[in-house]
This record gives sequence, C-alpha cells and structure tokens, in this order.
Amino acid sequence: MSLRFGLLGLLAAESLHGYEIKQRFEDMLGGTWELNIGSVYQALQRLERDGLVEPVGDRGDRGKQLFRATSAGEAALAEWLEGVDEEPQLLREEIYIKVVLGARRNQNGAMGRLLKRQRHAYLQRLRDLADSEKEAQARGRTELALLFKGGRLHTEADLKWLEACMEELKTR
Amino acid sequence: MAGSVHGGTENTMTTNALVQLTNVGRTYNNAAVAALDGVSLTVEHGEFTAIMGPSGSGKSTLLNVVAGLDRPSSGRVVVDGIELTGASETALARYRRTRIGFVFQFFNLLSNLTVIENVMVPAQLAGTRPAAARTQARQLLHDLDIASVERSYPQNLSGGERQRVAIARALINKPALVLADEPTGALDSRTGTQVMELLDALNQRGQTILLVTHDVNLATGHGRRVVSLRDGAIVDDARIQPRRKAEPAELVRLGAGEL
Repeated sequence: MSLRFGLLGLLAAESLHGYEIKQRFEDMLGGTWELNIGSVYQALQRLERDGLVEPVGDRGDRGKQLFRATSAGEAALAEWLEGVDEEPQLLREEIYIKVVLGARRNQNGAMGRLLKRQRHAYLQRLRDLADSEKEAQARGRTELALLFKGGRLHTEADLKWLEACMEELKTR
Repeated sequence: MAGSVHGGTENTMTTNALVQLTNVGRTYNNAAVAALDGVSLTVEHGEFTAIMGPSGSGKSTLLNVVAGLDRPSSGRVVVDGIELTGASETALARYRRTRIGFVFQFFNLLSNLTVIENVMVPAQLAGTRPAAARTQARQLLHDLDIASVERSYPQNLSGGERQRVAIARALINKPALVLADEPTGALDSRTGTQVMELLDALNQRGQTILLVTHDVNLATGHGRRVVSLRDGAIVDDARIQPRRKAEPAELVRLGAGEL
C-alpha cells in the first residue's frame, strides 16, 4: 500500500512519467527504497484501472506517458494519509527467528556468541544511523532525518530486546 | 613500526597506554556484591572511549578509581605513568589537579566566582601565577566561543554555556585525560549535541576522553569504542567505526516485498 499511495502522492503534486516517478520516489525517501521500473508501471496500471490516476496528453516520443492524479485519486490519498496504522507489529529481521530456534536447540554457547556479535552490529548501526541522521539534518532534509531517527529508535529497541535475551538465556 | 618514516601519531600500531587497569576490584563494607569485580581495561593515548552501563553497574566507581577519587580494594591502576594504587593522598590530589580534567553532569561551578575565575581555579591550585592563569583561561573561553560571558556568574548562564565553562576549566591544566560523567545529562538535546561536538573536536586534536554514560546513543555516537559494564564487570568491548559511508539503503529499508 505504501508504494501505491507514495506514487499517488507524487502524482497529486505534479504530472510525471514512469521514470521520473521512480526518481522522485527514491529521492523522497533518500534512497532507502529502490524501485525497479517494472513495479512502477505495474502500480501505475492498477492506479489507472481504479480511476485514481489518468494519462495526460499524448504519448510523447520514445513512449513517455505523463500521468496525474484524478479527483478520486486526491480523495483516496487524503483518506489514506489520515488513516491510523493498526497493522500488527512487523518483526521481519531474521534474528527473531534465530533466537527462538537457537534457544530451543541450546547448543553449547552458540546463542551467546551470536547475541554478542549481533549486539556489536546494533551498536555500529546506531552510529551509522546517527551519522546519516545528522547529515540529512545538515542538508535541510528534516523529513529524511526523521526516517533515520525512526531506524535508530527501532535499533535501540532491538538492542534492549537483545540484552533481555542475554539476561534470560544466561540463567538457563 | 619502530623507526618508521611515518611520523603520525594517529592509528599507530604500538601500544601507547594512558590508562591501565589490571584486575581491579572494589568492595564496600556494607555491600553484598562488589562494585567492581576483576576489571581490566587499557585506554590508549588519543582514544575517545565510552563506558556504558545501567545505574549500579559500577561505572561511577570505575570513573572514581581512574580519577584517583577512590582506591581499589584489589588490583592495579596506572594512569599516565603514575601508579595510583599505593599513592599518598597528597600525590593523588596532585594527580587529579594536573592530569585529569573533570566534566560533570551538573557542571559543579562555583557560584560566587565569575566565569573566568572558575576556569582559573585549577591552574592556580596547580601553582600557575594569576596573570598567566588569566591569560590561559581567556584563551580557552575564546576557543570555546564563550569569551563574551567572561565576567558573568554561572547562575546567569544557560546550561550549554555552563558546560562550556566547565570544559574550559577541565582543560586549563592540559590534562592527559578528560573524564566526562554524563556531560549532557542536564542539557536539552540540541545543547547536548553541541557539547558532544565540542568533545569530538577536542578528541580530534588528540585529547584522550573517557565518557561515562547510561545512554547508548551517546556512547555509540562519539568516539570509536564502547565498553559495557554490568554488575561491576566488563561484559563487552566493542569497536565502532565512525563515518562509515553506508548507503541509506544499507541502513534503512522501506517497502521490501511490496506489491
């Protein structure tokens, strides 16, 4: 859904063709989400099918077709932007499964070694995210800095969780 | 590396220990568990090291031992070539005055002295004559961008200015080691960032800094090393790479598996 409404948001602001959409989208998110052009066209097709975007003018040379949001698209975008996110918490990193599985296998200290190395990786990631956050802020990209801050706070939570795992598993 | 033509002091491979703790223990009579238990730690000249741990982990005791404010019950402490373990009170006092610069959470400035007088105090205690101390203090206030508040009293300054004054005071005797104990704990986040950037800049000019904090962002955000304490023992010693030029997509990924 994020991609669909991300594109719709861009097309509500200006008319763009496929490749421009890809570039604008990636730049908006500071390169944290790379799109392939195929998924852009696929999303555009669905948006057009649902009446949320429409082609503008004729297809130019080399097949560049501009698109813009329709008024139905504007309304759908506004509604989506106001909607509260009540999806389940996403825990997608493999470490979660590794801890669950590793705790069951309990093979002579392997879990302890993994947790320690994982903790180092998180400490380094905190530094990387803080550096990127500062850099984005210095470039005046406040909204991007907030994205990195979001990542940093998630990493901080992961770190706390990891330390809880260490405490808990040590006592067994 | 000996005899090498590369004369730089940065990243030399030779051991160049400024602080050396060997199997340090500290127990208090009324406590069931040791405040420090077999702590060994080497900090080299020019390092910016964070000691991180929750309250009660022993980080304050560790700081006090390195500062010569507390004596270990066992083990050995050597800082800047000085054996602290058996030193007399007078020797320890001199060591604190001349080798250590303290930066505290609550600044610890003297409210009846002006800014420049506060900065001059350690120099005068170390025997520097007032005129020379004043010149040095003035230079530091200038370097730290607070020359304009020279004649103010601490209570009339903002938190950030007070901490800068405290840093000037910490630096006036050109200490071998700056000990910073939660230096941003009493500051808002923007001012705290500025104070930490100041410590970063000092470190880049070669100042060895030992930062003590409970805050993982502070510990990882500066310097290159994070030592984690828990229950009086070092449980981890992590190296941090600064300015690792990672692509945003390597740090944060949005929308994997979309569509």
